[in-house]
Amino acid sequence: MSTPEEFENEVRAVKEAVPEADEAEIVKEFTRYKEEFLVPPKHALRSVIEHFQKEAGMEVGAPKMSTRPAAKSVERFSALSSDDNNVTIEVEVVTYVPRMQMVRGEEKQIAFGWIEDNPWEDGGERTRWDFKDWGNHAESLTPGSVVRLEGVSVNEWNGKFSLNVNQSSRVAVLRGSERKVVPAPSEPTAIERVLGMDGFATVVARVLSKREMTVNKKDGSGTLDMVKGRLADGTGTIGFACFGSFDHPVGTLLRIEGAAIRRFRDNPELNIGDRTKVEVYHDNAFASLEDLQSSSVLQIGQLRDGSADVSIIVQLTSWTSRSFTGQDGSEKTVWGGDAVDPSGSCRLTSWSELPIDSDSLPVAVKLNGVRVRSWQGTPDLTVDRADQAEILDTIPWDAIDATDHAVEVDFTELLSGGSRSGVSSTATVISVATGSGIILRCPECKRAMRDGACMNPACNSQGPQVGIEDLRLRLILDDGISNGAIILARASAEEFLEMSMDDVKAASKSDQGESFLADLRSKMIGRKFTFTGRAMIDGQGALLMADSFKPSESDLAETANKVREQWGVFA
Amino acid sequence: MITNQPRGRRQTAIRLFAREFYESSLPDGGQGEYDPRFVVTKLGAKVNRMYVAGVIERLEKRDTERGPMFSGAVRDPTGLHLWSVGSFRPELHIEMEELVAKFEGGDRFLMACIGKSNHYTTEDGGFRCRMQMEDYAIIDRDTYAGWLVETADHTMRRIDALGKAQSAESTDANSLRDAGVPKDLIDGLGLAMNHYGEWDPEGYKVGVLQALSAAEGRVVSFEEHEAHDASEADSANDSVSESQIEEPTTATEAVTSSGGDLESTVLEIISQHAGAEGIDYDSIMKHCAQRGFTDEDAIEDTIYGLRDDKCEIMEPRFGWFKPM
Repeated sequence: MSTPEEFENEVRAVKEAVPEADEAEIVKEFTRYKEEFLVPPKHALRSVIEHFQKEAGMEVGAPKMSTRPAAKSVERFSALSSDDNNVTIEVEVVTYVPRMQMVRGEEKQIAFGWIEDNPWEDGGERTRWDFKDWGNHAESLTPGSVVRLEGVSVNEWNGKFSLNVNQSSRVAVLRGSERKVVPAPSEPTAIERVLGMDGFATVVARVLSKREMTVNKKDGSGTLDMVKGRLADGTGTIGFACFGSFDHPVGTLLRIEGAAIRRFRDNPELNIGDRTKVEVYHDNAFASLEDLQSSSVLQIGQLRDGSADVSIIVQLTSWTSRSFTGQDGSEKTVWGGDAVDPSGSCRLTSWSELPIDSDSLPVAVKLNGVRVRSWQGTPDLTVDRADQAEILDTIPWDAIDATDHAVEVDFTELLSGGSRSGVSSTATVISVATGSGIILRCPECKRAMRDGACMNPACNSQGPQVGIEDLRLRLILDDGISNGAIILARASAEEFLEMSMDDVKAASKSDQGESFLADLRSKMIGRKFTFTGRAMIDGQGALLMADSFKPSESDLAETANKVREQWGVFA
Repeated sequence: MITNQPRGRRQTAIRLFAREFYESSLPDGGQGEYDPRFVVTKLGAKVNRMYVAGVIERLEKRDTERGPMFSGAVRDPTGLHLWSVGSFRPELHIEMEELVAKFEGGDRFLMACIGKSNHYTTEDGGFRCRMQMEDYAIIDRDTYAGWLVETADHTMRRIDALGKAQSAESTDANSLRDAGVPKDLIDGLGLAMNHYGEWDPEGYKVGVLQALSAAEGRVVSFEEHEAHDASEADSANDSVSESQIEEPTTATEAVTSSGGDLESTVLEIISQHAGAEGIDYDSIMKHCAQRGFTDEDAIEDTIYGLRDDKCEIMEPRFGWFKPM
């Protein structure tokens, strides 16, 4: 129950505004707000004052809304014009960069960033605008969240439109985001934490690697010199990019204050700009370059699309080259092969010749400063210069047989990481998706057709087709925490079903596969299965490709025991 | 990536026992057109899609204005999972017809049921949840035991997270994260703690123990009374325990003490007076009038509510009702 004392301050404020108001009545009003409408007294103050002003016959200051121009609610930025200043729109926040700024002689935290309209439509066209937050809505405007902005105004400058989120604007979070914006800190943050942050960070870290490069400006106005590299502390490593001079040699311990965190293909990177403070830092207890170098060596399972400056040791199991004619008409050669380590498998591509003899395989290769590109779920280590690779005398683990190399990974761990291949995991089938069984593929683009027509807009033969029959299964795997679709292409489907494609065709003939699918559902739904293959993971979700698929063979009594022990539940 | 899944991403099927689900009273989401709707449990599970299992206990077909629908219930160690197959899912109807025939022929079986949570508010303001079935399979004992162990594991994981959350400084996401609450439960636990307040999840542990023992083949019902009483009492309007049907006198006492609620009165009348053929509509009206309920529209709504929403009674032939 509420007590009159808890409203003491608010009651005094009301009495000041409306001296003749009855104290007991005021308390009653606040209690009602708190208990019936769940509005805390502080937030109810204005309404309560107005209520008593009206009751006392006083002139109530016209409510703010009525002096404001009529609210305009739009779905698209394109529906806005430069004089709209009470706009409601739903947007997705792309970036949110806080900054301290002097506003009328007062230091204030404001923020700017990007927002996109049309946030709900999958793959729909979106327009991106700048916005400025004058009202300190950092908590609601986290990157990745979808929000409804109410009472925001349009700003036009030099023909460019942006939105102002004002102090009086309301921000309603419609879909939250995992990432969190941290206001520019001056205390250093561990790199491990910086990797999950947005905004600005201050770090104390050692320069692990650096390289100078020249990039072409996007607008074609010339070139830009920059330095890219990697920083490390005891908790992890992060890439950096510096526009301007960066004269600190590898191994220097630096304190970098107020560097912006940018993301490229999900890889966070520290941007050292002209407002970032970089100074040499002294700490004898800080991890040495050697320690940091050896601990920053990655494993295949940790590779992420878009990573750069990666150090890794892999076992190379195949090696071939191929020649092609480049854009400029010259003959070029690219080398490539398959690589494994105890955490998974990947591809290796080299743009210059490496001293590798395909007869001496398998061989261990140590790579330094290489970059990673993923293709359909398989990471590809890209070597640009021969000096990035070093052939080791021995393989640092028992040579792995690459033909059936699969690393067992927990399902949720797999789905929360990056794309990987050569993995094996277990989860429950909760749906046998439509499009399983005999399908027809477009003869030109090979995609599955729907209703006898190719639906691929990029295909020359889009439209009705005589399709080519194929067999595939599309299932949804789910472990109660994560889920993803898994595809069994013809070979793995035939093996799993213990039926040839012709058998499936025969079984599907009489009813377009309905009873075949019904039978499959009744055999699979609710059961656990183990697959081996690769996982393609991006912002849209996970797609798994199975090389093999079979019922899980876990021991029930053992699993039950593990559960009892983990959570300490005994009768 | 698990909580706050972007739209378009498939909702994960939460594993949970019946009691955790039917004791929930907190809806979430659904503001935007494409926003998924959730039921947030006391343990912070945000349930949109769910995977439940158990032995079939009720199943019937009903004809509605929009076509036939099916409603059923499976029992797990903690209570009943009520579900329905809507008239808008005709692809499941043929199989459901077969299941009803099996069920009415006296066959009982274990089912794995996957569906979406659904909730509604009763006239007296009560919050009820159930599941709209998306897919199902008849499963064997081993698969069911596997589900029991997995669901016990997930339930304990949530109980553990609740303990961590209760020791956090506040219920905002950062405090919960710092307290060690797993990512997928942060959002739901924050909501749950603000809504349900302080409570002790000990009762849910009894369900976990029951489930693990059952999976291990020791199908004993230790502390049965505690688990049973708690689960049935909390959903007194939602399900009639077997004892109430068999022993009308105890039922009367229970209902009288809970006050003159129309729904329990109607249910009580039907339980007491239904013969082999059931009790007819007019007789129910007469009995209601004797007990002071005269609003025929309200009584009729209540009867259909009990028949269609709660699956407490059935209408074996037009105008005649008997308990399930």
